[in-house]
Amino acid sequence: MIKFLIKRLLEFIPVLLIISFIVFTLVFVAGDPVALLLPEDASQEDIENLREALGLDRPFIVQYGTYLSGLLQGDFGKSFRYNSDALPIVLERLPATIELALSAMVVAIIIAIPMGVWSASKRNSFVDLFATGGSVLGKAMPNFWLGIMLILLFSVTLGWLPVSGRGSWMHLILPAITLGTGIAAEMTRLIRSSMLEILSQDYIRTAKSKGLRKFLVIYKHAFRNSLIPVITITALQTSTLVGGALVTETVFSWPGLGQLLIQAINTRDMAIVQASVFVIAILVILMNLIADLLYRVLDPRIKYN
Amino acid sequence: MKKIICFLPFMFVLIVLAACTNNSSTENEQPAETEEGTKETGTTSNGESKELTIAIGSDMLGFDIHNHNNTSTESIHQNMFDYLFKRDENNELQPWLAESYEILDDMTIEIKLKQGVKFHNGDEFKAEDVKFTLERVATDETLKENPNYKQIKEVKIIDDYTVQIITHAPEPSIIHRLSRLGSGMLPKKYIEENGWDYFLENPIGTGPYKYVEWVRDDRIVMEPFEDYFQGKVGEWDKVTFRIIPEDSTRVSELLTGGVDIATNIPPADWERVESNEGTSLKQEVSNRTLFIVLRATEGYPTADVRVRQAIDYAIDDGTLTEFALQGAGIPTLSMVGPGNFGHEASLYDTYNYDLEKAKQLLEEAGYSDGFEMTLHAPKGRYLQDAEVAELIVGMLAQVGITVNLEFMEWSNFVELRNANENKDAYLLGLGNSMYDGAYSVDWYRSTRMEGHTDYKNEEIDQLLADSQVNMDPATREIQIQEIQKIVAEDVPHINLYLEKINTGVSDRINFTPTSDEMLYVPTITRN
Repeated sequence: MIKFLIKRLLEFIPVLLIISFIVFTLVFVAGDPVALLLPEDASQEDIENLREALGLDRPFIVQYGTYLSGLLQGDFGKSFRYNSDALPIVLERLPATIELALSAMVVAIIIAIPMGVWSASKRNSFVDLFATGGSVLGKAMPNFWLGIMLILLFSVTLGWLPVSGRGSWMHLILPAITLGTGIAAEMTRLIRSSMLEILSQDYIRTAKSKGLRKFLVIYKHAFRNSLIPVITITALQTSTLVGGALVTETVFSWPGLGQLLIQAINTRDMAIVQASVFVIAILVILMNLIADLLYRVLDPRIKYN
Repeated sequence: MKKIICFLPFMFVLIVLAACTNNSSTENEQPAETEEGTKETGTTSNGESKELTIAIGSDMLGFDIHNHNNTSTESIHQNMFDYLFKRDENNELQPWLAESYEILDDMTIEIKLKQGVKFHNGDEFKAEDVKFTLERVATDETLKENPNYKQIKEVKIIDDYTVQIITHAPEPSIIHRLSRLGSGMLPKKYIEENGWDYFLENPIGTGPYKYVEWVRDDRIVMEPFEDYFQGKVGEWDKVTFRIIPEDSTRVSELLTGGVDIATNIPPADWERVESNEGTSLKQEVSNRTLFIVLRATEGYPTADVRVRQAIDYAIDDGTLTEFALQGAGIPTLSMVGPGNFGHEASLYDTYNYDLEKAKQLLEEAGYSDGFEMTLHAPKGRYLQDAEVAELIVGMLAQVGITVNLEFMEWSNFVELRNANENKDAYLLGLGNSMYDGAYSVDWYRSTRMEGHTDYKNEEIDQLLADSQVNMDPATREIQIQEIQKIVAEDVPHINLYLEKINTGVSDRINFTPTSDEMLYVPTITRN
C-alpha cells in the first residue's frame, strides 16, 4: 500500500508540470493583461512602462522559466490585480469552495441513494419513471438557470432564504441544492444501473431464497457492491463540482475559488489563474487517489499491485 | 408505505425549507429594547437599522491607493481616505484637507493644511504625510497611478502645516489631480513604522469611516471614525460593501431588502426595481462619453471631412439613447461633459441628424453610391454597447454606407487599438476622473494620434499647446471650449452620448448617485 501511494504521488509530478505548462501557455496566448490594467486613455509609453515593470516584455520561454523556478519554491507570483502573492489569496478561498462542494455532495447523496436504489428495486414502476425522468431533468437544468430560479422562488417570492453571500447555514442551502442537483442526477442514474446489474446476480437470488428480508438483500448485499462505480464517478465529479462551483459561486456571490477564478480570467490575472488551476488540479488528483484507496475498503479482492 | 419512503428526500428538503422560514423571520425581528428604552447598537430609538449595505459588482483591488485606477475601488476608498481638495455638489473644487492655496509661480503651488486633522490611529495629519504620499506616486513608475502624478517634481515642507508642490512644467490641472484617485493622504509615520504590508492589511486614513474587515470577493466593512475632522458621521454605525458580481442576484438582494443600494442595474431589471414596493431606480448622467473614432489616414473614405460629417448626420443619437439605452443616455456633440472644467454647454444635449444632408455630403465627397467600412466594437463593456453598434450599422446603411461590424473581446480590442491596427472606425467610451476637459480634448492632439487615426488640425494643436501651460483658468477654459467647437465641425470622432449611471435604491434611504460614480457614505441618509 505504501509503495502504491509513493508511486501515485510520484506520478503527480509530471502531471502537474504538464498542467503548469498548458495553463501558462493558455494564459500567455490569451492576451496582454497590461491592456486591462490601465485606463482607456493610457499612452503607449505608460503601457510599455508597466509591461516592463511586470516583466511581461520578456520572451515566453524566459517568463515560463521564471514562473517554473518560482513554482518549485512554492511561489506562484504576484497577482496583478490585488498586488499581493497569488497562492495565499487562492488558499484563502479554498475553505468556502470545499464547504460548498461538500454540502452539494451531501445534497446529491441524500437525493441519489434512495432514488437510485428504489428505482432499481421497482423497475418500470411509477417510482422508476419518476427517478429516471427526474434525473434527466436534473442533469438538463443548467446551474446558472437553476440558481436564479431558486433565488426567485425561495428568496424573492417566498422570502424564506437569503439571496446570496456566505454567513449562516441558511446561506448554504440554495447554492448547495443548485450545485448538488446535477450531481444527484448523475449519481441516481449510475446507482440505478449498477443496482440493476447486481440485483440480477446469482448471489442475490441465493440471498433472497434464504428468506432474508428484502431491505437486507438490497442494502447489505446489493447496494454495497454497486458502490464501486459510484465512488469512481463521485471522485470524477470533483472536477464537475469545481466547474459547477465557478457558475454557482458567481450566481450566489459565494466567495470561493470559483468566483476568484472567473474574475481572474476576466482580468487576465495570470498568477491567480495559474495558482487556482494548480490547486484545483491537486484537489482532483487527490480525490482520485482517495477513490483508489476506497476501492480496497469496499472490495478486499482489489490489489494495489 | 414504500411510496411514502421514496418521497423522503423531497420531504426532507421541504422540512429544511420550512425550518428556514421560521429562522428567517426570527433573524428579521428587531433587537430587544435595553433598560434605557433604547435599542441595541445598530438601530435607532424607533427601531430603524443603522447598518448600511451597498451591493457592488466587483471587489475592491486592495488598499494601495496609488496602484489601481479602478473607479469601483475608489468609490469605497473615498470613505477612508481624504484628498487635499474635493469637488462639491456643483462639481466645484474646494479645499478639503487643504485650508487654502496660492499659486506662487507657474510651477509652484503652496498649500496650507488644516490643523487638527487626525488619522484613524490618532496621529495628526501633517505636511510630511503630503510629501510622503505625493512623492511616492510621482516617482515610482511601477505604480498604476504614476502617469497621472509624474508631473510633480517635488513636495517641499515649509512647516508642519504648509507644503509647496513643485512641478516639472506648468501644470494647470494640479488642483484637479489633487482631488482624485491616487491622491488620498497616507500616514507616513504609521507606514514607515509598520511597513507597507502591514498597512495593506490594516489600512488607516483620515476619512469619515475606518476599516473593520475585508473578506475578499465577499464584503468590506467600515465603521464611523469618532475623531473625523468634520465631526463624526453618525448616520450609520456600520457600512458594508457587498460584492455581488451577478446582476440578477444583486437586483434580487435589493428587492428582498438584503442591500440598500445596488449599483449597475441592467436595463432588463429597471422595471422590476421601479415597480417593486420599497425600491426605486435612480439615474444620473455619468462622466463617460461614448463616441466613434474615425480614421483620417489618407486612403480611407473617412479622411474626407465631408464623409465624417455625413456619418455624423446619418446617426440618430436620439434613437440610440431612447431605444437602445431606454433613456439612459444624453446625446452630445462633445466629449467634455457637464461638471468638467471647459464644458461647452451649447454642444450638450443636442445632436446632428439629417439623412438628406448626409447623402448630399457623401455625394459631394464622391461617394454617392456609398462605400464599405469596418466598425470595431466591444461587447458588454458599456451599457447596451452591442445594441448601439447594431443600430448604427442600420442607420449608416440608410445613406449607402455598408458597415462590417466586428465585435471584440475587450482585451483584444485594447490590443488592436494599442497596435494601431484599428480600421475605419471603432466604438469607445471614455470617462474623465480629472473632471478637466483638457484630458478629453487631448485625444485630438496630432502627435498623439499619429499612426492611429492620423487626424491633424493645426488650430487644435496650437490651442492644446497653449492650454497645456496656461495657468489662467479663465482663458484656459475658453481654449478648451474652442477646441470642442472645432471638433464639432471637423468631426474626428462622432460623439454620441453620455451614459447614465443606473442605481437601485431602497426607499429606506436617501441617495442620489453622482456622475463620478462614487459611493460617499456621508451623503447617504436614512429616510
